[in-house]
Parts: sequence; C-alpha cells; structure tokens
Amino acid sequence: MGESVINTHGVIMPKHIISGLKFLAAVELRKKSYTQREIAEKLGMDRSTVSHYLNGRNLSWNSIEIAEVIVNLCPRDFSTLTYSLLKDREKTRTIVKICSNKKFECDVKNSCIGCGVCADTCFMNAIVLENLKAQIDSDWCCGCMMCWEICPTNSIEIKEVEDDGNNGNY
Amino acid sequence: MPIGLVVYPELCHGCGNCVVTCPVNSLRSPEVAGGKGPTDEVDIIMMVEDGSIELKHSEFCGKCGTCVRSCPVFAIRLEEVEEAK
Amino acid sequence: METTETIENKNISVQRTGAEERKLQFKDELCTACGLCEKICPVSAIEVEPTGAMATTEQESSKVDINEEKCVLCGMCACICPYNALDMEIEGESIKTMEAYPKLIKSAEINDETCIYCKACETACPRDAIVIARELPERSKLVTGEIEIDKETCIDCGICEEMCPADAITMEHKQPTSDSPTVSSDINVDKDKCVYCLVCKKACPVDAITAVCRQCSYGEYDIKPEDAEIEGSSFIDDELCVDCGWCQEICPVDAATVEKAFEGKITYDQETCQGCETCVLACPCNVLSFPQSAESGDKPEKLHIDEKYCIYCGACEKACPVNAINVERTGIKTTPIKSKSWEKAFESVKN
Repeated sequence: MGESVINTHGVIMPKHIISGLKFLAAVELRKKSYTQREIAEKLGMDRSTVSHYLNGRNLSWNSIEIAEVIVNLCPRDFSTLTYSLLKDREKTRTIVKICSNKKFECDVKNSCIGCGVCADTCFMNAIVLENLKAQIDSDWCCGCMMCWEICPTNSIEIKEVEDDGNNGNY
Repeated sequence: MPIGLVVYPELCHGCGNCVVTCPVNSLRSPEVAGGKGPTDEVDIIMMVEDGSIELKHSEFCGKCGTCVRSCPVFAIRLEEVEEAK
Repeated sequence: METTETIENKNISVQRTGAEERKLQFKDELCTACGLCEKICPVSAIEVEPTGAMATTEQESSKVDINEEKCVLCGMCACICPYNALDMEIEGESIKTMEAYPKLIKSAEINDETCIYCKACETACPRDAIVIARELPERSKLVTGEIEIDKETCIDCGICEEMCPADAITMEHKQPTSDSPTVSSDINVDKDKCVYCLVCKKACPVDAITAVCRQCSYGEYDIKPEDAEIEGSSFIDDELCVDCGWCQEICPVDAATVEKAFEGKITYDQETCQGCETCVLACPCNVLSFPQSAESGDKPEKLHIDEKYCIYCGACEKACPVNAINVERTGIKTTPIKSKSWEKAFESVKN
C-alpha cells in the first residue's frame, strides 16, 4: 500500500492522508516559529515540499480534512491509525506528539514491578524503567492508555489535564 | 498437565504394598498404620479389592510417590493427567 | 511485542521481544521444585509440580510450568531462586549482573591457604559442586630408609614377597631348567611401594636382606617438611552450589565459609510423620535423615533434622504428604532493593 499507488480518480489513498497529517504537523510547527528547514528535518521532508505545504500548494483539501478527523479521534485511535499509515514507530511518534491537542498527567504507583511490558507497548517511547519502576514522561504521553490496559499490576494512572499550551519539546 | 495418581488394575498383583506404605492412609487409619489392610470404616486413598487395586479417595493424595516406590509391578503411578485429582 | 515459550529437554525459555528483548530461562536439572518462584510470582504465571512426585518418581514433564500468557518477564522468580534454576536476560545480559535487580546474599568459599585438601567437603557436598585436586608427595621421600637384597645369598624362597604388606617385593618365578637351575630369575624391590617396615628382613630365613636407614641410626626421624608438602586446589561450581553449609561444617580446619540468604526454623510433628522418606529424598541439602537404632529395642526419633545444613527453601514442607513439616523463613538477606513492590514481594516469602 501507499507509496506506489497513484490516485487519478479523486480517491484518498494512505499516502495522501499522510500528506494531510504532515501538513497539519508543519502548520503546528510553523505556529511555534520553527523554520522551514527545521520543519523539513523533523518531518523527514524536503524543504520545497514544506514550503509548498505551508503555502497551501500541492495538497488536496480533502486529505487535510481527513487528517483533521484522525487527529481529533480518541488518542488511541489517533496513534494506532497513524502507525498503521506510517508503519514506523519513530515517525508515528513525531506526528502524534506534534499534532496531539491533549495533555496528560501520568503517575506510576509503587506496586509497579518493573516488568517493562508498558515500555514495550508505548508507541511514544514515553516510558523507561528506573530501579525496577516505570517512569512515564507526561510530556510524551499521547493518552492512548495502552500501558494502563496492559499493566499486570494496575500500577499506571493517567489523567487528561487542561492543555496549558506548553507542549514541551518535540 | 497436572500430575495425579493413576492405577493400572490389570497390572496389579494385589500385594497391598501401596495401601500400607501410603503415609496418608496410615495417618488416617490406625489399622493401616499397624501394617494391615483397613478393617475400619476410615476413608483411605486406595484399597485392594477382589485381588486388585482400586482408587477410593485420590483427593487425599499428597503426591509423594511412596506407593509408586513400593509397587513391584508399576501398577500405581504418578503421571500427567487431564484433570488434577 | 510478543511473548513466546519453548521447551527443550524439560528446560524452558520464555522470550519477549519488544523495545528490548527479555528472556527467562529455566534449567530443570537444577530445580528442586521448592516452590519459591511460584510463591513470589506477582502474576501467578508459575506452577510448581508436586515436590514429592518430582523427587521420588520419574517424570516426563518439567518441574515447573510457566504460563507464557501470564508471564510478564519481571524477573522476580530468577532473583529468588536459591538453586540457580532460573535466570533472566535483558538484551543478552543476565539480571544477576544488574544493580537494579536484588540478589540473595549467599556464598560459599574455600580458602586455599587453610585447606589441607582432605576432600571431606567434596564427599559431603550434596550437590557435587566441589572438586578438590591434590598432588601428594613422593612416598619414597617420606620413608626413612630402604632395603637391599643380597641376591647371592637369596634362596628365592618367596617368603618376603608373600609377607610384604605393601606388595613392594616381586620375584620372577620360573621352573628350573638344567642350564638355569633356580626357581626365580630375579627379585625386585619397588622403592615407591616399600614403607621400610622391615617385615621382610625379619622373615628372611637366610638374612639376605639388609636395612639401610636413610636419615639416622637412632633417634628422631627427620623428614624434610618440603618433601611432605601436599599441594592442591579447590573449586566450587557456583551454578551447582546451593550454599547449604555442609563444606563449612565438615571441614576440619575451618577453610570453608558459607553465608546463607535465608534465616528460619524447621520443625516436624513426630506424631503426624509416617516415616515415608519423601522429605529425605526431596531435600537438596541432605538436612534430613532417618536415625539408625543403636541397639535392639532402642527406638530413635522418626526423623533427624540438622538445621546447620538447611537453607529454608521449603522443599521438604511441600513434599510431605501429611503436612508434618513446617519451614519458617524469618529473615532474608538481599542486596539493596529500591523498588517498593519488589521489597514487598521478597518480604512475602517470609512467614
């Protein structure tokens, strides 16, 4: 799927949705005053494409609409759908982090046994183990709750908090 | 699969070794502890009936293997069974 | 992320591949089915087969069963196992080498400076974990003299050969022939075997044997100490050693030191015990034995327990079919535990 499929009939293909997502991410980064060069680097695009995107060229508005719908799905659907399109954990992580408009606060209880199942599950690589206890970087949490669901000791607490506009570092 | 007590009556010679060596039997029945077959009404794990071994209450079995070691003809064994007894 | 399980020759390997690769390995031959792993597993993924059945009968299955659908590869079982039957690796490195994971503080050492290589520990070790290699001095150097046989005087009677307690004298017996009318062609003394006891000299009917004292004519024998030195080395196989304390207790020169991870108490109820021997066979440390009667009519206790050798693993308690044995763990020594849940889990094996 994807790269080699050329759309000639106005059908939205995965590649176009990816473009839509990258557009949204580029706009988001532009708002945060990232330069075009930095945006290109972050999203793995060439600079001319970034420039076209930011000027609304070479893009179907239809795919942007769909990308907007995806971004606003519940966090788990957003991240899993993005991963199924990109098939790359690192790229998924970047897009989800930039486009996510929700903020979460994560806490790990002392009942954590440090088995690392959560760290293995986390798309966002937001979890590391330290002294046999999971540490979740709230900045990177996308709120998909997969860690919470898989934790064998029910040690993870995640709650959505009001977005203070500070999305941390990408 | 869990390990449980299984008897093979077709191999059994009816010697009764398992009945009297079984520590659970001898704890439950003073008759067995005395080295005899049970003549009292106590429920024990296995008994020789009509010359061959029969499991009566395998739920008491502590799976120690003493009966297995005492049997001269491999007629009583601890082996994997479908359902733990 | 995926967890898979493979079983080969009763050895189990549970593997999870994800952000990092974790591998839990179980070695059946080291396992005693004591039940500690089952007790500590936070997700009830481990089931230990009946200890008694595993110790007294031939079984085709592994001593433990690990449910890979439940196992989260946390490594607690590997850290509590006193028999080295379980180990976990993260990215190919054993957690035994990682500071974050607690380890039981236990050890056994033999000090080669003090050791006299008597091999008592090697014989006593219930797990065959000790090898003592020793090189003995040359016997001939420790003997105070040697004998000489005057072959001219010797009548080839063979009395010395027959009487020599060390089989040091050999004759080459033969049938006499007309060209060589003797019953022996030669007589030899093996100096490595001769202990200079002089039985041959006293027995010889023709005084053909002379004694030559090497050191002195009378007085104290003076053997050079360096000639009598025994050299050797000791080796403890860390994988097989269970730190039971047998080597320490049996060593006549206090060369062995053992540190144990668990403290506790083991007792049994003489009334309930039926003397079936299952515990004796299940104990990996030879703590339990049946005392022999000293004389007829003497009735010894049913079971003899010597706690000196016990590591409080609980295998005997679990093996006893009539619950006559009670193993109490009151203390556990580990390297520092920083995780609260791990601390709690290790505390939970006490009772």
